[in-house]
Amino acid sequence: MIKNLFRLRKTSPRLEQLRGLSLFGELSPSERAIVDGLLHERDYLKDEVIFDEGEEGQAIYIVLDGEVVICRQGDPAKGRLATLGPGSFFGDVALLDNTPRTAQARATTNCRLAVFFRADFHELMRTHGLIASKISLQLARGMGARLREAARAAPATHQHL
Amino acid sequence: MRTNGSGPIVWAAIIGVTCLLLAVFQRMLWLVVPFLLALILYYVLYPAMQQLVYRGLSRNAAAAATIVGFLIGLAAALAFVMPWAATYMVDLEATVVAYLEGGLRLMQQSLVALEHRWSMLAEARVAETAVQNLRGAAGGVAGHIEPVAMGIAAWTPSLLLVPFLAYFFLKDGGRFQRFLARAVPNAFFERTLYLLHEVDQTLRAYFLGLMKLTMLDTVTLAAGLWLLGFPGALALGAICAVLAWIPYVGSIAGGLLVVLVAATDFPDAPQMAYWAVGLFVAARLLDDFVYMPLTVGKSLHMHPLVTVVMIFVGGAVAGISGLMLVLPVLGVVMVCGETIGRIVTDPRLVARFRHATALRRRQASADLTA
Repeated sequence: MIKNLFRLRKTSPRLEQLRGLSLFGELSPSERAIVDGLLHERDYLKDEVIFDEGEEGQAIYIVLDGEVVICRQGDPAKGRLATLGPGSFFGDVALLDNTPRTAQARATTNCRLAVFFRADFHELMRTHGLIASKISLQLARGMGARLREAARAAPATHQHL
Repeated sequence: MRTNGSGPIVWAAIIGVTCLLLAVFQRMLWLVVPFLLALILYYVLYPAMQQLVYRGLSRNAAAAATIVGFLIGLAAALAFVMPWAATYMVDLEATVVAYLEGGLRLMQQSLVALEHRWSMLAEARVAETAVQNLRGAAGGVAGHIEPVAMGIAAWTPSLLLVPFLAYFFLKDGGRFQRFLARAVPNAFFERTLYLLHEVDQTLRAYFLGLMKLTMLDTVTLAAGLWLLGFPGALALGAICAVLAWIPYVGSIAGGLLVVLVAATDFPDAPQMAYWAVGLFVAARLLDDFVYMPLTVGKSLHMHPLVTVVMIFVGGAVAGISGLMLVLPVLGVVMVCGETIGRIVTDPRLVARFRHATALRRRQASADLTA
């Protein structure tokens, strides 16, 4: 019976989906189950605003289905900064501090997002340091990739990156 | 853009809702008290459950193991305390009357001593009149022991709900929070998440602070009473610390209890009662200036004037239960009121909500237009 208490959790389609997300790709099944208990799921319609530029950020968003555009406030056509599909995450700076959002996020198709609240991440750092550090590593990799992309876009000024 | 909605209207609403809740809670104490105790137990046991989850248990198993561990600990503590408590409970009425008599005797001695010094008091026969009046009242109190004991017995079944409720708080607390968040429109979602988090943090800080304060009070009073030579110093200290949960009235009741014990157990040493009063004053000062700021103090982020005024308002609206409940209820209503005030007065969030509603309406009726 004691062994049963500590047995590995059965996987589920939902946990399999989390496994496919880059942010949680490094986690073991039992670690993913713990994180799954902290995620909120939201549905957005095409053209719905997810968050505004300048808004206080409280959470990171992970695209489960659909497409999201990151753009300058109120200008999704000309001010487009990035288009994100399933598996991508955005709003990650909010997970590290509570600075205002640097851009607007809008759904460009009907989409389903997983939301990871900052306070839950901080709680995770306190109780499950290993899981939090694996997620932090993925976050840092994501930020590094974005920096490299920015450097490629402006090679003359950012060659050192 | 206006970001701060905590104006006078929001504050009037916060105070109004707090008073309304206190009045409602007073009428359903049979449910509110176990719920509140379960909430305290949840916050106390939550770190232990988190540790078990960290060790690899599922949340359900960890919640069950934590509650079972608590019940085993409680049973062991009761087994330890019961023989001592039973000696007092066997003849409860005689015990209470004996302590009341001891208190009256001390009072009579003190007033007679004063009459010897002040002829004006002697002429007014203050000692005789006061003791006669109090003896009549004490006789009434003795007559009320049985109904009070019956009342406590009637409350016991609802107290059995406490571990049951705490188990479900531990097991499903996170799920319940997500369930609540699901009902919130997307535009207000992040702010609402923050609101739920703040409510949780406020209650956690308040109740855990209260538990720490109770332990500090117990240790301080027990040490003082033990040094003075009181019997059952630890139990007396614990009872007084728990009574102090009721602002102002509880501390006075605790002090009175110790004076009664001193007057009865040390009939020939009235100075013991005065020492006990001195100890209570010192403990009160320590409480107000050292322990409270360290524990409960800043958990509610309330102005001291608001705190004091609301304690009196709580007492006026809902009596003793109002005194006990007013601070946590006000703390939660304040967080909710301030956040809701900010959300509904944020024109951008309201505009986003209307936009999303229009999108949903359009999607729902896409194939219905001619």
